[in-house]
Amino acid sequence: MRANDAINGLILILLSVAMIAMTSTFPAFPGQPYGPSLFPRVLGTLLIMCGVLLVWRGLAARRSGAGWVEMAPWTRQPWRVVSFFLMLGSLLLYILVGDAIGFIPVAIVILLALFLWFGVRPLSAVVTAVVATFAIHWFFATLLRVPLPRGVLDAIL
Amino acid sequence: MDAFVTAAGLVLDPNVLWVIVASAAFGMFVGAMPGLTATMATALLVPVTFFMDPVPALGAIVTATAMAIFAGDIPAAMLRIPGTPASAAYTDESYAMSKKGELDLNLGVNLVFSVLGGMIGVALLIVCAPVLAEAAINFSSFEYFWLALLGLTCAIFMTTGDPLKGVTSLIFGLLINCIGIDPTAGHPRFTFGSVELLQGISFIPAMIGMFALSELLRGAVSVDERNVVLAQKIGNIFHGVWSVLKKYWFNFLRGSALGVAIGALPGAGADIAAWISFAISKRFSKTPEKFGTGHIEGIVDATSANNSALAAAWIPALVFGIPGDSITAIVIGVLYMKGMNPGPTVFLQNPQFIYAVFIIFVLANLLMLPLGWAAIKSAKQILRVPRNVLLPIILLFCLVGSYAMTNSFYGVLIMLVLGIIGWLMEENGFPIAPAILGLVLGEMLEQNFMTSMIKADGNALVFFERPIAGVLGVITVAVWGLMLWRGFMGRKATLAPT
Repeated sequence: MRANDAINGLILILLSVAMIAMTSTFPAFPGQPYGPSLFPRVLGTLLIMCGVLLVWRGLAARRSGAGWVEMAPWTRQPWRVVSFFLMLGSLLLYILVGDAIGFIPVAIVILLALFLWFGVRPLSAVVTAVVATFAIHWFFATLLRVPLPRGVLDAIL
Repeated sequence: MDAFVTAAGLVLDPNVLWVIVASAAFGMFVGAMPGLTATMATALLVPVTFFMDPVPALGAIVTATAMAIFAGDIPAAMLRIPGTPASAAYTDESYAMSKKGELDLNLGVNLVFSVLGGMIGVALLIVCAPVLAEAAINFSSFEYFWLALLGLTCAIFMTTGDPLKGVTSLIFGLLINCIGIDPTAGHPRFTFGSVELLQGISFIPAMIGMFALSELLRGAVSVDERNVVLAQKIGNIFHGVWSVLKKYWFNFLRGSALGVAIGALPGAGADIAAWISFAISKRFSKTPEKFGTGHIEGIVDATSANNSALAAAWIPALVFGIPGDSITAIVIGVLYMKGMNPGPTVFLQNPQFIYAVFIIFVLANLLMLPLGWAAIKSAKQILRVPRNVLLPIILLFCLVGSYAMTNSFYGVLIMLVLGIIGWLMEENGFPIAPAILGLVLGEMLEQNFMTSMIKADGNALVFFERPIAGVLGVITVAVWGLMLWRGFMGRKATLAPT
């Protein structure tokens, strides 16, 4: 998704203004004019300047015929869009249910779903998903002692 | 000398050597896979190194990146897809050579000159770093402020893309860094009451998100595009390399020297070194017309340059704590985690670690020869690993890696959010590396800026009063001026035809 620079610039300006507004609640150093708000304010001002230049450039490009938002070719193929969101969705799934269900089952489900969606043959998909999950679990949880969530397998592991 | 002996003992431990060999194989694989970069290899390694002692941790990173930068040349020659961006400068040239039936010679030259270029980079790292550290020991907050700013400035100046977007990306990175407890007063900023945001945006998950996840997202939408390996038997790759070295020894020296100079500049890494040295090679070649037809000359320059730049990027990282490129930006994070605060004092407090890094670099480059040979021989198998199997597994790796950095889902969330931001940035032409540098250097910049402001009582002239600070300040201001001028001229040039 490629947006016109005017849109990018506008987003940056809004972001900076909001941020500078928030710095007004920061306390001052006693007896010191430079406090925690100084650095974010300087950066915010610089970012606003960049934003203005981007808007100016984006508007010039718009006048010479560029669109507001340009979608990449793959966005017109629904299954590619699904691929894109499946990747993000897998991460979200892990964040949402990982703690309750545990790393191993969630990881197997994620891998299996992605493999099948990307066209790996079912048998190799199942085998690879299980082997990869246990290998990664062994490496991180056993070898490196990362406390990966155990979830429903708590009694077994 | 004692420190050197200690360092040798640390490195020659069988466990460390095992880690080095394993990460060399890992680096070769990641570097050779199109779409997976050397930076990504490092980002994926960090969660693993987190659990190691300092020496194997540094060994893993040094070796993996050195191998990855070389291995990127293999698919460049065989598929016309650079394995890492550092090989992009001469991909067309390499592929043209392969089409002419000179794949063996091309890969041989890539391997041998990568090793030699890497060695020159290491040699200069060994010579320069301690000398610079000696000078750096007297630096005050003013010098460090200018150094950090100069580093960030170079990062933008050297980006090949749009300078305005580079600046924007950098400031954005600095702003992300403002989230959390502020370094001078200890006041929480932009945390919205969240306890987890108090610790700030954890740097490694951010990096995994911006470098690896955004790459995976791009990969996911093009997973069915097949790589067609150029069907060609690989014979004796070392045949003819010696005569290339005899003929183009000057190109090799020039490429390596340029690589060191560019690599040592904060912010400019191996890929920029390769582009510039390839361009210079063509500019000063006696036979510029041969470039583009499968000519070895530019490849000699560029393949030496990208490997020498890799070692040289450690010079500012070790001496000043300023990353030379996105890889050393990760390394600095690792150094902090290991309690060795990068900067001149590390040479006094932990000299054995510095020597260990030097020794590992030499070892890694020596190891590159046999392992590189093996990688080239098995390249067809490596390149045949289907992407539809690889992408989900790497995704799982990113997930566990970022989880491991915070031991909570917070790390995964940072990775997810910054991965999407990174993907959007790249789509819109904003380079990611400056944002990461901003995230890494932000605290150092702010701390030194605030300390200096308080010391100078807001008087900007004090920033120029100390001799070294003054010189650095003038250089920084000059580079900014040059950038504005270049931006202005560029604008005029683009407006001219209308």
